Amino acid sequence: MLLELKDVYVHYGKIEAIKGISLEVAEGEIVSLIGANGAGKTTTLKTISGLRPISAGRVLFDGKDISRTPGHVRVLRGIGQAPEGRGVFPGMTVQENLQMGAYARKGNTAGDLAEMYDLFPRLNERRAQMAGTLSGGEQQMLAIGRALMTKPKVLLLDEPSMGLAPKLVTQIFSIIEEINHRGTTVLLVEQNAQQALQLAHRAYVLETGHVVKSASASQLLDDPEVRAAYLGGDLGVDGAGEADATPNGAGRPTGGDAPAQ
Amino acid sequence: MSHSKNTTGIGPVRAAMRKITTPFDEMRDWWGRAPGWVRWTVYGLVIVAALLAPSDSVGAFMSPESDWATILFYPIGVFVLLAIGLNVVVGQAGLLDLGFVAFFAIGGYVMAVIGTELGWNFWEIIVVAVLISSLSGIILGAPTLRLRGDYLAIVTLGFGEIVRLVAQNTDAIGGPRGINSIPHPPDMSDIEIIPDLQPFTYGVIDPRPYYYLLVALCVLVIIFARRLEKSRVGRAWAAIREDEDAAEIMGVPTFRFKLLAFAIGAAIGGATGTVFAAKMISIVPNNFPFILSATILAAVVLGGSGNLPGVILGAFLVGWLPERFRGFEDYRVLLFGGVLVLMMIVRPQGLLPSRQRSAEFAEGSGMGGMGAEVATPTAKAEVSSR
Repeated sequence: MLLELKDVYVHYGKIEAIKGISLEVAEGEIVSLIGANGAGKTTTLKTISGLRPISAGRVLFDGKDISRTPGHVRVLRGIGQAPEGRGVFPGMTVQENLQMGAYARKGNTAGDLAEMYDLFPRLNERRAQMAGTLSGGEQQMLAIGRALMTKPKVLLLDEPSMGLAPKLVTQIFSIIEEINHRGTTVLLVEQNAQQALQLAHRAYVLETGHVVKSASASQLLDDPEVRAAYLGGDLGVDGAGEADATPNGAGRPTGGDAPAQ
Repeated sequence: MSHSKNTTGIGPVRAAMRKITTPFDEMRDWWGRAPGWVRWTVYGLVIVAALLAPSDSVGAFMSPESDWATILFYPIGVFVLLAIGLNVVVGQAGLLDLGFVAFFAIGGYVMAVIGTELGWNFWEIIVVAVLISSLSGIILGAPTLRLRGDYLAIVTLGFGEIVRLVAQNTDAIGGPRGINSIPHPPDMSDIEIIPDLQPFTYGVIDPRPYYYLLVALCVLVIIFARRLEKSRVGRAWAAIREDEDAAEIMGVPTFRFKLLAFAIGAAIGGATGTVFAAKMISIVPNNFPFILSATILAAVVLGGSGNLPGVILGAFLVGWLPERFRGFEDYRVLLFGGVLVLMMIVRPQGLLPSRQRSAEFAEGSGMGGMGAEVATPTAKAEVSSR
């Protein structure tokens, strides 16, 4: 297994946000975490990238226990993340943002930059522009590109479709597929369950800090409970962007401690 | 920013302000494109201007009611150097520090204690003072830099008060009466450049040699700060300031770099305190009140946090304006406060912000964002929404 969580607990103060999650991601896979707001998806990703300390359990990466490894060291081991709410550096240009991705490693980055501009031609056009002035979709591309600049073995993506027009969502998801084809393992957190399940090989369904289901993506797409809760089910609504309107979706209180946008 | 659209009644002020600030922005952009020789000429001119500043003809306009050379040392010179130091912490690393005066005080007390007890000279002491104050920066930072935004601000505010109160209540360092007969720096030469000016002779009467000492320190510190800003360290600070979590997952050891910013800022504050104490002969705890921290922070924010020329301009104005308008007596403080409030409404990014800071400001990140991590409400949202 490339990445393994074993019975992980995470607390915010006294409150348990994650209550014993175990999951596995094998090399080359696209694995998705789906669930409503507050299910603990973002916290799970932050726990893997080292932004949140765990209170119990273990995180294994490449066979080694990284539970206590600080975040900036995990990057070097091969965990890259594009944070929720995009989290680009607004006062830096597109190119400077991408170069920040290569901050921790030595050597020439010109080749990697060229590869990113090849993957995201749009960023090439905007390379000298301040990241804060980019559109939402461009910022998302930049966040993904910047994470790829860290040369990750596993790429953690937190809600890449958030706030994007449906056309852009399709584009972002095809880019994720392309990234996976080029050999990067992907762990994808999404509220847009429909799109996520069509892209992913396997998925975990999270509810209030627990994993309640785990199966191959195609099985989950047919699962009546999942359909009812996350895919608009028998309400006759089908399609992208509707996953928010789950019965227990609880509106859109921006989950977690994402930077205010 | 949305709030600026809804404020009514200050439209004309905003328009007038834009007339004033647009040339600043144009100047910044011109400066960004200026070739090397232009820059070096300007640097040279600025230094010459600083050296010629303490003359009576300049003083007649700048401060008709008090001694200009004295004011150039304190508050103006001291404020400028402190602001450059605080700018490393607030402007570059984006850490809101409300207790910066603590390091100024520590530098001053190191000078006073070692100077009177051990009889070392100024140059030896300033090295020790820089080390001790940066160490105290690390001691303050190590437990507190895990906090963010306003939480950090509160803790640093407390630290500033603790240092002053400890000085106040420790009889070994004079308690509330402070320390007297602090030695002046040794004379470097009694050369007389123009009649009545011996710039390297440190006496009681003439403030100008001390002012020149501050100018020299400023130049050194500016070069140092500038080089840092352009280095990997500066890039790490910018990343932390703009988005600390994102910086961490780019492989930036955020905690270590924040600690470094604290240590460097503290070192500059400490050096300033040493010069201050050496000039003043006596210092008391009340030389280091909270309001001084707030004033220096106001200078940094007013000038354009993160941009050295802006910060220097801000500190100069904050030091100079109240002295210039001494004729208005206490109303000048009211006016000054009013001007600061107005500035924050019409020009929150400061008089001379860098391009980068302006962009951050539009996004609400950097120090303006104060990305405080609030544990409990977040956890509630995570759990209770189901």
